[in-house]
Amino acid sequence: MARIVTPTAFDAIDPKKRVRNVALTLLAVGVGVFVLYLLEGVGSSKLVQALALFAIWGVATVSLNLINGTLGILSLGHHGFMLIGGYTTGLLMLDEAARQRILTSARSTMTEETLALSVSNLLRGVGLEALTTPETLWVRFLIAIFLGGLLAAFAGLLVGTPSLRLRGDYLAIVTFGFGEIIRLTASTRLFSAYTNGALGFPGVTSEFGKSIWWTFGVLAFTVFVISKLKYSSYGRAMQAIREDEIAAQAMGVNVAYHKVLGFVISAFFAGVAGGLWVSWLGGVRLDFFLFQLTFFFLVAISAGGTGSITGVLLGTAVVVFVRQYGDPLEESYSIQTWLYIASATLALAAAGAVLFRTLRRLRPRLHWGSWVLIGAAAVAALVAAVDPAVIEGTFRGFGMRAIFLSVLLIVIMVFRPDGMLGRTEFSWSWFLREQRTGPTDEERTQDAWLSNPAFGSPAGRAAAREQELAEDDTDAPAGGDDEGGR
Amino acid sequence: MAMLEVEGLRKSFGGLTATNDVGFHVDRGEIVSIIGPNGAGKSTVFNLITGVYRPDAGDVRFEGTSIVGKSTNQVVDLGIARTFQNLRLFTNLTVLENVLISQHHRLRSNWLSAVFRTPSYRRQERAMREVATEKLGFFGPRLQSFRLHQPVYVLSYANRRRTEMARAMATGAKLLLLDEPSAGMNPKETSEITQIIRRMRDEGGYTIVVVEHKMNLVGEISDRVIVLDYGQKIAEGTYRDVVNDPKVIEAYLGKKAGDDKREELADG
Amino acid sequence: MWRRFLPLLVILGIVALVVWRMLYLGSVGERFNAGFFLRAFIDSVKLGSLYALIALGYTMVYGIIRLINFAHGEVFMVGAFTTYFLFTITPYALPAAIVMAIILTFGLMRVVELFRGSMRDPLVLGVGAIGVVVLTVALSAFTWPFWAAIVGSMLATGVLGLSIDRVAYVPLRSAPRNSLLITAIAVSFFLQNLGLLAFTNRQTPFRPDTPLTNPLAIDVGGTPVMTNWLLVAIPVVTLALVIALTSFVTRTRLGKAMRASAQDAEVAQMMGVSVNKVIATTFLLGSMLAAAGGAMWGLNFGSLNQPAIMGILPGIKAFAAAVIGGIGSLPGAVIGAMIIGFSENFLTALFPRTPTFLGITEFKDTFAFVLLILVLLIRPSGIVGEDLSEKV
Repeated sequence: MARIVTPTAFDAIDPKKRVRNVALTLLAVGVGVFVLYLLEGVGSSKLVQALALFAIWGVATVSLNLINGTLGILSLGHHGFMLIGGYTTGLLMLDEAARQRILTSARSTMTEETLALSVSNLLRGVGLEALTTPETLWVRFLIAIFLGGLLAAFAGLLVGTPSLRLRGDYLAIVTFGFGEIIRLTASTRLFSAYTNGALGFPGVTSEFGKSIWWTFGVLAFTVFVISKLKYSSYGRAMQAIREDEIAAQAMGVNVAYHKVLGFVISAFFAGVAGGLWVSWLGGVRLDFFLFQLTFFFLVAISAGGTGSITGVLLGTAVVVFVRQYGDPLEESYSIQTWLYIASATLALAAAGAVLFRTLRRLRPRLHWGSWVLIGAAAVAALVAAVDPAVIEGTFRGFGMRAIFLSVLLIVIMVFRPDGMLGRTEFSWSWFLREQRTGPTDEERTQDAWLSNPAFGSPAGRAAAREQELAEDDTDAPAGGDDEGGR
Repeated sequence: MAMLEVEGLRKSFGGLTATNDVGFHVDRGEIVSIIGPNGAGKSTVFNLITGVYRPDAGDVRFEGTSIVGKSTNQVVDLGIARTFQNLRLFTNLTVLENVLISQHHRLRSNWLSAVFRTPSYRRQERAMREVATEKLGFFGPRLQSFRLHQPVYVLSYANRRRTEMARAMATGAKLLLLDEPSAGMNPKETSEITQIIRRMRDEGGYTIVVVEHKMNLVGEISDRVIVLDYGQKIAEGTYRDVVNDPKVIEAYLGKKAGDDKREELADG
Repeated sequence: MWRRFLPLLVILGIVALVVWRMLYLGSVGERFNAGFFLRAFIDSVKLGSLYALIALGYTMVYGIIRLINFAHGEVFMVGAFTTYFLFTITPYALPAAIVMAIILTFGLMRVVELFRGSMRDPLVLGVGAIGVVVLTVALSAFTWPFWAAIVGSMLATGVLGLSIDRVAYVPLRSAPRNSLLITAIAVSFFLQNLGLLAFTNRQTPFRPDTPLTNPLAIDVGGTPVMTNWLLVAIPVVTLALVIALTSFVTRTRLGKAMRASAQDAEVAQMMGVSVNKVIATTFLLGSMLAAAGGAMWGLNFGSLNQPAIMGILPGIKAFAAAVIGGIGSLPGAVIGAMIIGFSENFLTALFPRTPTFLGITEFKDTFAFVLLILVLLIRPSGIVGEDLSEKV
């Protein structure tokens, strides 16, 4: 009879490995800090700005993914939460000169009372004069983004509450509606004393939003909180809601509480991200918080993989790269150049289609759609090469970046709906390829024995394998493919 | 005192009366089976007890207190857990995670302590893992070791059923409602699950209500059998009494009797 | 029993409140006379009809594949701009005329196919052969009148709807609904920015030469209300299209297949319904209605917003209308659209700017969302809709 592997309480991480993992993490953080230090010194200001933007949007995407990925609710109102955090931080951190300008401006709708709202005045009010000096600006900024986050979290509570009665796409529309309501009412008389209407206001300190250290610090904190939450019992409960709400409730999970909790935490970090974003921009205006922002985050999340925080950050990097370094896409080129670009894109798309169909073993490899693409590419190239009448003039690819990102999102959704990383999360054991993806031989034997004790002879390893193939009860080993997941 | 008392339960959907004046009781340590033809309202009774639906009339009392109007998760808090007829596992999560989730409602740490992994949270997490392995252990070592960390979607159908039962046990419930625990299992697996249900009662101390179609399983485990037809209770008693009840035979076979069903009933 | 009369009571109550409020306002200011409210009423009906045309597309698509076709607002935008480009810059240069003629002919063939059942039908092929030639000549030689521009735009936009379905949604038929919705948002963004790139990036005047914009004066109690024939035209066109659509859905084979698919697509497929074709048809019809809506939107407001913002707000409001009416139901979409039209114009007229009150006009864009949220919370199935909640 086969020896039965004693079940352990759970596959506890070997203490040695834990020490190693901590050491590796510290090392990686050290290397990361060093690299950032180098980049800050060596890199252009454009690079530093891009990195800071990556960190700021990273805060937003990681927090959005708590709702979209972990809780499985499509939330489209993140720009609304960011707006709240952004305007709060902006107003509280507005510098004195800007306040004076707004006060004297005829078009301003802000009042003396609202302009008196600032962290400095707040601190003076509670007798902490020491924290109102220029050297302690960072303390005030921290307080401001924290308050911004709190206000946004309160909005998250308001948005999260109707979510208790709604499911799926209706909820997506309601979150979108809330986001738009927040944006549309921010300029009305209800709030124009705080927001200065559609004008907004410049004059918010850029010291923090454009600093790598601040933004990456906040990003690290966000990733810490969100990932610890995701891999805690609370995160498991949230994932259960994503998988099957009815079953989750039937297993005792308080669905309402966890949904609202997810919304509140996510909105808090969105508010913080909004504060940093305002600081990065150096001012506040309504059109900094368009739905487009949430769209970019959606692209980032979906491109990277909603199941994985690592993936979300990767996707954010892609989106930020396109946004910051995509200017060549939007420059003015001659129409001939554009035709060649179009031709090359179409040809590439056709090649991609053929490759895809080959890999998926679809027949025919050359779908008629591919022929259409090839034909169009040929026509474009021909026209560009032959007809001088069309070539004259130039054309500016205004909005090309957004087009590129939306095409990217469509392509990813069609061909790889789980995103680049899917559910793969970075961990040292994954990185070092230590993770077990299947049973050991011993476990295989044991499994086969359970299904049919007659096969439990010591020499039964080979037989057990056969048995596993034959027997209904045995399971497919976990491979890389996700085809069973629905 | 009976653990679960159901009285005059009625629920209709539009014009269809799914259950009508159903009443029964379950004593501590009993295994009670609810049988009946398809559409007799068996699953509806489960949904009414667990608070998925709210009854139009009647009362459900658990350990003496009425649980009508409580939400599903409150019912679980009180100590009733269920499985589903069409498996409702968290398919993209691992076996272990599935069984941990059902213990989440007993966690006594708030989310901040969970984020910062306070010692008390860590202790509870360890305890939860131990409970999980213990409950999965009911089904032998097949859901242990490497399989703990496999996502549910790679499991076989029978293993999914087992995982679901372990998940229900891990909620800390005293009363388990099992909706067709042997559906989709082959005869060998069915006889194994029969033993396990009995062990769940004897070793685990659970009180169990089973909805089942396989008569040999029902015959082997049931202390009492309740028969529903068209939403009404038509018989109650030991398995022997019930299968010989003319009303039950009529419910299953109708006036135009077919032989296959009679054989199936006689099998037990 | 009294529940049966509840809707009637609610309606009567609302009417009573409205009349009371009107009378009160009449006593407050000279400005708030019958003409003032008639103007608001007219605007409400017109706007409601326009929303209805968009909402029908949402409701049909959602009814069958449970997808909020976020891109539908952009389809509406493209429809408006296509109309614009058909009545302003025709005749086209020959290459452009050929391309456009091919698109229009394809749309025409798909429309004829709806009644013939197959693309290989001789009639469809005949229409295709003649259509290409005739349309190429028409596009390259004549300036199109407004009515022809609308029809042309409906055909072209129908083809756009079909292509969106084919490229972006067909590969995702079995995907989770959230993925589908994200894709729809991506398509919406794509079209917005493509519109910016290809059409224009500023507000565009939309003033075709048509008798519909001729002035019309209605005399109420001595004060003439100046309006134009659109007051009649928009509701009539909407009504005609809704009736055509309804009879298509109830009378024809394909219409029955549509209703079957809306009930249960999987079973319909097993019964021999080609669900993909049915879905394509809903996209075709919905996009055509949206194009008609877009053209009349331009006519009504005299200009088109820039592409990135023109479609999104009307689109989402129309979706709200579809949900309020009861998603999946054609009459529901019209009712919901009217409710939103009235809330945006008539309600703001009931709470106008007075010396003591600033009015609620600046909030009117939020009404649709607020109504949507309220309806979803109180009666998720909408006013006439069926319950779509999940069974355990």
